[in-house]
Amino acid sequence: MNLLVQLSDVTKRYDGGGAPAVDNVSLEVGHGESVAVMGPSGSGKSTLLNLIAGLDRPTSGSVHVGGDRVDKLSETRLARYRRGKVGMIFQFFNLLDDMTVADNVLLPAQLAGVPAARARARAAELLAALRIERHRDAYPARLSGGERQRVAIARALVNRPALLLADEPTGALDTATGEEIGELLLDLNSSGQTLVLVTHNPDLAARYASRVIRLVDGQVSTATGAR
Amino acid sequence: MSGHPVLRAARSGVTGRRVQAAVIGLVVGVSTAASALALGLIIDANAPFDHAFAAQQGAHATTTVDGSKATAAQLSATARLPQVAAAAGPFPETIVTAQVTIPGVLGSLHLPPVTLAGRASPGGPVDDIALDRGRWAQRPGEIVVSRDMPGPTLQVGQRITITGTRGTPSLTVVGIGKSITDSADGWVVPGEVAALRAPGASPAEQMLYRFRSAGSPGAVSSDVAAVRAALPPGSLLGSQSYLTVKLQATSSIAPWVPFIVAFALIGLVMSVLIVVNVVSGAVVAGYRRIGVLRSIGFTPGQVVAVYVWQVAVCAVAGCLGGVLLGNLLSVPLLGQTARVFGVGSLAIPVWVDVAVAAGMLALTGIAALLPALRAGRLSAVQAIATGRAPRPDHGYAAHRLLGRARLPRPLTVGLAAPFARPARTLVTLVAILLGATAATFAAGLSTSLDRAELDLSHSGSEPVQVDLGAGLVKAKLGAPRPPGTEEPAAVQQRAVEAALRAQPGTLRYVAEADAQVAVPGIPGGAWVRAFRGDASWTGYAVITGRWYHGPGEADVNTYFLTATGTSVGGTAAITSGGKRVMVRIVGEIFDPENGTASVLTDFRTLAGVLPGLTPRQYDVALRPGVNAGRYASALGPVLGQDLGVSLNGTDPLFVSLLALVSALTVLLMLVAGLGVLNTVVLTTRERAHDLGVFKAVGMTPRQTIAMVVSSVAGIGLVAGLIAIPAGISVHDYVLPAMGHAALTGIPPSLLDVYQPWELALLALSGIVIAAGGALIPAGWAARTRTATALRAE
Repeated sequence: MNLLVQLSDVTKRYDGGGAPAVDNVSLEVGHGESVAVMGPSGSGKSTLLNLIAGLDRPTSGSVHVGGDRVDKLSETRLARYRRGKVGMIFQFFNLLDDMTVADNVLLPAQLAGVPAARARARAAELLAALRIERHRDAYPARLSGGERQRVAIARALVNRPALLLADEPTGALDTATGEEIGELLLDLNSSGQTLVLVTHNPDLAARYASRVIRLVDGQVSTATGAR
Repeated sequence: MSGHPVLRAARSGVTGRRVQAAVIGLVVGVSTAASALALGLIIDANAPFDHAFAAQQGAHATTTVDGSKATAAQLSATARLPQVAAAAGPFPETIVTAQVTIPGVLGSLHLPPVTLAGRASPGGPVDDIALDRGRWAQRPGEIVVSRDMPGPTLQVGQRITITGTRGTPSLTVVGIGKSITDSADGWVVPGEVAALRAPGASPAEQMLYRFRSAGSPGAVSSDVAAVRAALPPGSLLGSQSYLTVKLQATSSIAPWVPFIVAFALIGLVMSVLIVVNVVSGAVVAGYRRIGVLRSIGFTPGQVVAVYVWQVAVCAVAGCLGGVLLGNLLSVPLLGQTARVFGVGSLAIPVWVDVAVAAGMLALTGIAALLPALRAGRLSAVQAIATGRAPRPDHGYAAHRLLGRARLPRPLTVGLAAPFARPARTLVTLVAILLGATAATFAAGLSTSLDRAELDLSHSGSEPVQVDLGAGLVKAKLGAPRPPGTEEPAAVQQRAVEAALRAQPGTLRYVAEADAQVAVPGIPGGAWVRAFRGDASWTGYAVITGRWYHGPGEADVNTYFLTATGTSVGGTAAITSGGKRVMVRIVGEIFDPENGTASVLTDFRTLAGVLPGLTPRQYDVALRPGVNAGRYASALGPVLGQDLGVSLNGTDPLFVSLLALVSALTVLLMLVAGLGVLNTVVLTTRERAHDLGVFKAVGMTPRQTIAMVVSSVAGIGLVAGLIAIPAGISVHDYVLPAMGHAALTGIPPSLLDVYQPWELALLALSGIVIAAGGALIPAGWAARTRTATALRAE
């Protein structure tokens, strides 16, 4: 398997001691895979995703993504890593309310210094593919939850990342809209996009992931194939 | 209302938001310090003499008594007169002639007559002398000189040679001091005075008195009369009232009051604005927490109490620290002011400390109360929703427009940020504007003071003067002139002119004569300077009109015009010895002369009224690049011992003033920078989650800093641009006010001081303040962990 993500003996402890949020986890994700990380609340799913995204650093162990030792990168290199190699989708979308849809989507490309024309063309392509181009000049607050998540997906993909990380992408959506977003992620994965999906919805994991990893109290309890 | 939950909630509010608590404490502290200092400056600028006089137990009357007519016992007995509250003396006193060597200048400079008093110590019940530098004289051969002693500025370690007495003794300067009533020009040990007295001179004694009633000239005169009556007839040679000294001190202070007040007002307004901004901002930032408190059962009154307590704890700490800081800062700053005013030491009055602390606490309380009352009235859900973000739609258009600009995205995001909080932006803009206005005003004022110093000292135009004084007396009092020979003074002048012509480095020179003349309408008359030859180059700045062209024409100072009610183009009568000459006033010159009238004219104008007028000095201009000190040291030996060569140096008063202006400007810019810091901290906290999003999608630490700094840089640029005309207006208003207080007009050269390149730099002062204030919180924002920021609500 051509590995894209490799976590080795990763532990994450937050200040104040207590049980680790992620406890000695090792994990591998190949190019083009779709992996679901499941577990109850507080099991360490989001922390694991944050460690892969470089939003947080492990207390011990190593995180490799696409040849980068993520846990050892400086803050500046981490930012470049996030804008170039990973795209993130959040449960509550994390769109910037004072920017239009188009501006939200363009932001990672602009931060990366992508030429304006090329960035605009890529954003237009994504907005069209995600069927939200009519909202390009609207503000996120005026969109439905599903539309907002599509905007978030477009933003995550604008720099063509090797890895798409999704943290409860349907958690704030109604069932029908959640289905739509799930299908969208499935389509992306089918087209070769590597996907790591955090969810506590077994149906979502079963339908849209090729592999499911279960976390309990920060430790991998089982890893099974799905779909 | 149960007190405990309120206090606990307030305490957890302070400890849970340490940065915010620290910012409130810091802003209130610095604002309190600035306000105390500003108010202290205003108060001290208005009454520095009274302060210093009280602090130094100044003498209401300084008297000189003939020691051969009154005994020490008789003098001591005057201390027990019913009118006398305290007395010091008798101190032996003498007036000496002296000369001094200046480092780097060969030869000696003659000092004007110096009054020396013999005192064993600087202290005592009356006239506690403030020692600026060095120590008190402890043995013969040592002298403490007054900071205001006429002549060149002396330093500790220099030597003064006393002439006109046996052995021409030499004294080493061991200290520099100041008597608030100028009781003497220098002090030596008592036993040395007799040795310094000129042969044959009568012994004199100095007595210093504080009277029980000395509020008016009449009261002081009556008290002095009682002293005179208690002494043998004719023994009281003279007395000087403190009111005379106060009048002189006040007239020298008055010109500086307007600029001190301008700085102080800017500081006060800025402090009030920043405190209101930081405190109300802190309460608004706590809306979400207010919602939570409401949801768990806090009543509106309790919520208000929690927030007022929370702010009050920080504010009290800030006020106490601020009062302490203000008083500490006042030591050098008011010390500087005191030196400027020449009135010993000054301090912030206690009532100012109390009033400023109370006022700042009240202001803080009101600033916290109003938003807390509003928050208290909101429902829990409303408070939580309101506290999450700025009002929707504010600043959206700015983001959209700036997003299209061809600038790096972090900059455009930052530049659009101020539009989300218009009221906070406005307050920040005003704070930066005031700081930048102070900088613009200070830059102009410094240039104006520099030029005024050059104009008044003439150090640029005629740095060297040859004083004919002593030689002239010898020439006049020498052996009778044989018939048919030339006037000795004329011989001397020819010799001086020949020496000046022969001296390498001489550019030009002119002979100057001074005389007191009577002018109708001016009590005490006017001081006339008559030049023999072209003197237009001597450095007098013309306010209106032109320099005189020949006999019959004159330039006068503003006081002359005001006192006589004339104007440029009019005529004035100059009278002396019963003779009168009419002069045409062709120009108004910048020559404050401590509130006396002055006239500049051609030597020939006075031929009819002052036929025996003789030049007193030569004013000498040097070729470019010639060192004045070396020139003087070379010229001195050529002219001989009877002629003094002096230099027009920089007045230490102006040096002190420039230092004071710089210190005040830095302080105001710091306060403005703190206002910016507060705004950025509040905004960054409010937008912590957005910051997490930016970082999550790839914003680097450097881009984060650029975004945060540019969020106030735009405000800084706008404020800087507005500050240019504002600062120039303050300058153009304050400078004439200073001139008016000094009884003089201001020449255009002192008003037109701003160069285009300087304005361009000053326009950036707003950005400097903004960037300076934003850098620290920008650094915090850049270091914030992305995951932590994303979890922020």
